[in-house]
Amino acid sequence: MWDNRCKIAVSGVGFSKVTRSADIPLAAHALEAVRGAVADSGLEMDDIDGLATYPELPATGHAEVDGISVVSVNCMMAMLKLPSLTWHIQVGSSNIGGAFQQAANALLAGVCKYAVVWRAMHNPRGTYQNLPGNMAAGSGQFTGPYGFGGPGQGHAVAYARWLETNGQTRDKMATLVLNQRKNTQHNPHAYFHGTELTREDYFASRMVAYPFCLFDCDIPVQGAVALVLTLADRARDLKPTPAYLAGYGQRLHFETAGRIGSLSNYMEGGSSSAKLTWERSGFTPKDVDVAQIYDGFSASVIYGLESYGFCKEGEALDFIQDGRIALDGELPLNTFGGSLGTGRIHGLWHIIEGALQASGRAGSRQVKDANVSFVGASAPIVTGTTFIFVRDPY
Amino acid sequence: MSDWSKVTRPIPVPDEYTKPFWDAAKRHSLEMQRCQTCGHFQHPPYATCTQCIGVDLKFEPVRGQGKIYAYTVMYHTGDKRFASAVPYASIIVELDDAPGAFMAGNLLGSEYTEAKVGRRVEVIFEKLNEDIVLPQFKLAGE
Repeated sequence: MWDNRCKIAVSGVGFSKVTRSADIPLAAHALEAVRGAVADSGLEMDDIDGLATYPELPATGHAEVDGISVVSVNCMMAMLKLPSLTWHIQVGSSNIGGAFQQAANALLAGVCKYAVVWRAMHNPRGTYQNLPGNMAAGSGQFTGPYGFGGPGQGHAVAYARWLETNGQTRDKMATLVLNQRKNTQHNPHAYFHGTELTREDYFASRMVAYPFCLFDCDIPVQGAVALVLTLADRARDLKPTPAYLAGYGQRLHFETAGRIGSLSNYMEGGSSSAKLTWERSGFTPKDVDVAQIYDGFSASVIYGLESYGFCKEGEALDFIQDGRIALDGELPLNTFGGSLGTGRIHGLWHIIEGALQASGRAGSRQVKDANVSFVGASAPIVTGTTFIFVRDPY
Repeated sequence: MSDWSKVTRPIPVPDEYTKPFWDAAKRHSLEMQRCQTCGHFQHPPYATCTQCIGVDLKFEPVRGQGKIYAYTVMYHTGDKRFASAVPYASIIVELDDAPGAFMAGNLLGSEYTEAKVGRRVEVIFEKLNEDIVLPQFKLAGE
């Protein structure tokens, strides 16, 4: 087990308004989320001495403009001018989960006391995957000419392989999507809060890239979320009940650029990250009371459930049936609605929900007696990170 | 069947690492990067052998027969260059001669519903302009 288990805790969390279009600059969303998280902790902004984020814009063909389409550490610091700042980072080889992990490491190293981690996501005007020009260079020269555009198709090919090699049909995915939309109704910050989805809606929706229909894809939005991370001893003196970090992992499997469609890489990415998390925390999948698994595309949840070890490979669509993943089920899943419910903010919202469930602060969607709270914070192959939070330190 | 006649495909830009692949395609031949140390074929081309980290890599001919490893049928018309062809099948092919090396393509000459995992396909060549010929696939034996 990890010597540092339960020495770090998530304290406050914050959310901006989530809107479909970019009505105000993204920096304003990020500020709202960061201020919310600091206030939720009961801290003053001047107490914050660490900053961490992952400022990437996953849309292609759009300019990255700091404060408008991304919010970097530079942008945040230029706004906040924190007098106590002692540490900051933007990560590259892992997604926002990596920024969270680096903040945890910095706290353990004693180089900052209260770190804020945020993720701000822009929805550019026009086509999201706006592949530029009439030429396909670099790794795109082997995919672009065939109409492989955005990540949707890259994920779709893996999903089609999963379905056909396992003799499954996409009909069963409706259970996941509907369960998450139901959970979304308990999350007032989510984009789809107040919008119900029926089984009929799911099956009537237009296909985007088979096997993905519209409701298998998270909707691009403009918004930000943030959290305050600190040492457990300090977190106990703050307002919220701490959510203790019992362990974390990151994927250790890498793919060469331009190679798409390999299903085994999803599995190896996810299992390598989860193995570290189980070993460090001492828990197993059977100990988990509630799980958040990244769902930018619905199929990512399948790969997560299987590669993290919640069920066997090829069985995830059966595993999620019969109420197992409902709020009162055996493994409540994506209790905040997931990205399919909140809109595309990437994995920090999954981490926040994992922490809220462990600290008993999830409101009407709180899972009863939740202690061990698992998070898979991004698609396993791309940049997967995994976490366990607990209510009871050990 | 998908109507490709009005599609404007992005033109591949060969670079110093990929030029032999495109030169071969222009001759209606399929060549892939092969590690001269361990014999492993790989695609897309990479700086080193993905199996043994060898750096002595050369392009060698492979036969154009293989299986559909995975596929998607595109319905979204966000990319206007391809909008007139939807729905169309984009496939990932694993060649018999190069296990683990994945080639993208479209399934041409058949309904998009014929794209299925495991189905046999063979390479055909689609001329894009005087310089670039694009490897594509059709169902085998047709």
